[in-house]
Amino acid sequence: MLEIRNLTLSYGQHAILHDVSFDLREGESLAVIGESGAGKTSIGMAIAGLSRGKLAGRVRWRGEDLLALSPEEMRRRRWTQIALVFQSVGDALHPALRVVDQVAEPLVEHGLADRVAALERARELLHQVRLPAEKQRAFPHTLSGGEKQRAMIAMALICDPQLVIMDEPTASLDAATKKDILALIRRVCRDRTLIVMTHDLGSTARVCERAAVLYGGRILEEGPAETVLGRPRHPYTRGLLRAFPDITATKDLQGVPGTTVLPSAGCVFAPRCTQALEACRAAEPPLLDRGDGRRLACHRGGIIPVLRVDGLRKRFGNTVAVDGVSLTVEHGETLAVVGESGSGKTTLANLVMGLVPADSGEVYLEEEPVRRRSKEFYRCVQMVFQDPMESISHRFDVLRAVREPLDLLNNMPPEERLERVRQALADVQLPADDDFLAKYPHHLSRGEAQRVTIARALTVRPRLLVADEPTSALDASVQAKIIKLLLDLQEKRGMALILITHDIALARKVSDRIAVMQAGRIVECGETAAVLADPRHPYTRALISAHTPPNPPLSPPCR
Amino acid sequence: MHIDYWGAVKHSTAGRLGTGLLLAVLAAGAAAPLWPHAPEAFSQAVLQPPSATHWLGTNDVGQDVAAQLLHGARRSLAVAVAAGCLTTVLSFLIGAAAALGGRLADTALMRLTDAMLAIPTVVLVIVLAAYVPLRFTGLVLVLAFTGWATGARVVRARTLTLKNRAHVLAARTFGASRRYLLLRHILPDIAPVVLVAFIQTAQRAVLLEAGLAFLGVGDPDAPSWGMMLHQALGFYYTPAWSWWLLPPGIALAVTLFSFLLLGSALEPLLDPRLRRDEHA
Repeated sequence: MLEIRNLTLSYGQHAILHDVSFDLREGESLAVIGESGAGKTSIGMAIAGLSRGKLAGRVRWRGEDLLALSPEEMRRRRWTQIALVFQSVGDALHPALRVVDQVAEPLVEHGLADRVAALERARELLHQVRLPAEKQRAFPHTLSGGEKQRAMIAMALICDPQLVIMDEPTASLDAATKKDILALIRRVCRDRTLIVMTHDLGSTARVCERAAVLYGGRILEEGPAETVLGRPRHPYTRGLLRAFPDITATKDLQGVPGTTVLPSAGCVFAPRCTQALEACRAAEPPLLDRGDGRRLACHRGGIIPVLRVDGLRKRFGNTVAVDGVSLTVEHGETLAVVGESGSGKTTLANLVMGLVPADSGEVYLEEEPVRRRSKEFYRCVQMVFQDPMESISHRFDVLRAVREPLDLLNNMPPEERLERVRQALADVQLPADDDFLAKYPHHLSRGEAQRVTIARALTVRPRLLVADEPTSALDASVQAKIIKLLLDLQEKRGMALILITHDIALARKVSDRIAVMQAGRIVECGETAAVLADPRHPYTRALISAHTPPNPPLSPPCR
Repeated sequence: MHIDYWGAVKHSTAGRLGTGLLLAVLAAGAAAPLWPHAPEAFSQAVLQPPSATHWLGTNDVGQDVAAQLLHGARRSLAVAVAAGCLTTVLSFLIGAAAALGGRLADTALMRLTDAMLAIPTVVLVIVLAAYVPLRFTGLVLVLAFTGWATGARVVRARTLTLKNRAHVLAARTFGASRRYLLLRHILPDIAPVVLVAFIQTAQRAVLLEAGLAFLGVGDPDAPSWGMMLHQALGFYYTPAWSWWLLPPGIALAVTLFSFLLLGSALEPLLDPRLRRDEHA
């Protein structure tokens, strides 16, 4: 059993690992997931006793504290008990030695077998990893990346170690080779304890039973791989998953907002987190058990809904425009509300924004019920309207229009407001010079005007943007740009987005979740990819087929 | 897109003529103190026909008709401007309050407006005159109190359509107060309506002021065209009517006509279809 407690590693002032703790039962496998620089390799090096930095904490392997061992004792355990497969396969093999000789070397080195027996064992193992005999006798540079990786795995296993640590075993391999190697790892490491460091969430991480997400040298989320990767609770885990291409996902790739900046205090992820509070910046959250076998380091208990509506109803005269709608939007996610015109989408948006009063139902902002729409509410939730020309007063120039929310919602000095206006315009890729600031809406194209309204909504840095058919008044080419812009801004700012559209094809490309609305009701709601792959409600199917191009015309029957 | 009020006036014949006539009346009012005769000064020369000393002759107590005419212009215009402003402000506030203040306020204010429209104004003013002394301030207050209803209806209707415009809704999502919405988003758009309402109420004030004075419920101390008409009518059988009765009648007609012309010149501003687009 491997038991790691408060493992801390530092080089001078730089802490690379910070209080890393986890247990691994014999035969269990763990994927350590994280971006480059998160400290993945350092964990492997520390366990294998190869780390040069200052180590603290405890690494117990089968009752022995590895950190307390002398270098010589550690050397003896390497290969025989603990094997390490390095990341860059190209450099790890000696270029002047034949593959089979290198694979046999640790066995001879540790005095476990004589040369002949070692070579015999090496051939056997290489055969197991399916490296053909002629390749076994070749020099490393004639091997492909996948073949070198096979050789490395064989070499790691030659002394029959019980703990295998693989650092990015599939990085830079093509998909087919990767699949092979993963199958190989699964086969040869079945009854060994395995730690795989990887940034590949798609397949590599899923080889393991458990997964730990590492960021800034800390574990943020850890638990059964299926749970952690299937239903991430930490904003960072979700961000990583979103950044990773997945054949079943329909949404475009998105990164995690911001870049890695490690704060001196508080939660390491707080500077990039969209739901961070003051408490997150003040104290570091402990890695706590959350019940479902998962441990999570987050003051807010994981991703929380930024907005939730419950049973909203609104009738106009005899028509019920919105009929008991309940929805949840989580921090940083895109929810598409899809339905044909007249299905109550815009009324729903107006109800959320408080522009029309609801007959019944509740709106919650970060789980707090919203009674009155205070300025605080509008600082968190902003809206982009359908017709950009209509939504800017024709008496306002660009400066006044974009500055309006700041004038009303923020008490900042005028120069700072002007600075924010210029910044917001630059964010939406519009010129921010005085000429442009002095333009009136009728001087702008529709696309430009919509960018201006987006800039306007973003000046107050909202956490949720409600976009009501933001592109339906625009040409197709402009539409694509505006949608891309919204997604870029979402990535940059990490805000949540409710995109209201009649275009299910558009929703498919941009949303994490989709809610299909018909006659004021949500008839279907779920993960976009899942809903579109297997629509349950006839209305959803109708919407999808309406967007599917008709079959090619039938060729005339043969005579 | 800014509304070119002056352009609208300048580019129409009615606007130019109306401005000219109104300026003439204004000049007459401004020139009143320079006139050698005081309007209330009695003299022995009664019912004199026009002469070198009394250009428009004298009335039955020897007062200079020209002096009274000039001072009458002052009073007419002062009442027009003061009552016009006050009435328009009332119309704007009440109309906007009805449109923006919620269903209850709307119902209450609109029923009140209907009631005001149903009561004949002149009768109401005469009744009020029994309680309020119709000196300048009293007159302006009474005119404003009885005159706001029509304007309020128009303002309410325009505000109701404007308040659901996307830019007004957008401003609400920035936490704008009603006051802000009214002053920054709605007023600029209904300014033409307000301006025309002002001209109409000013015109009405001139007419009612003259009418009240003519009926004898006006301020007996202030020389006004209505009072001149009232007094001159007693002597219509003498030749004096031609220099005493006719001038105030013509002056009144010219003033009312100039307001009418200005109003019609500004009319295109109310209807965008009649408006010349400066950016076309």
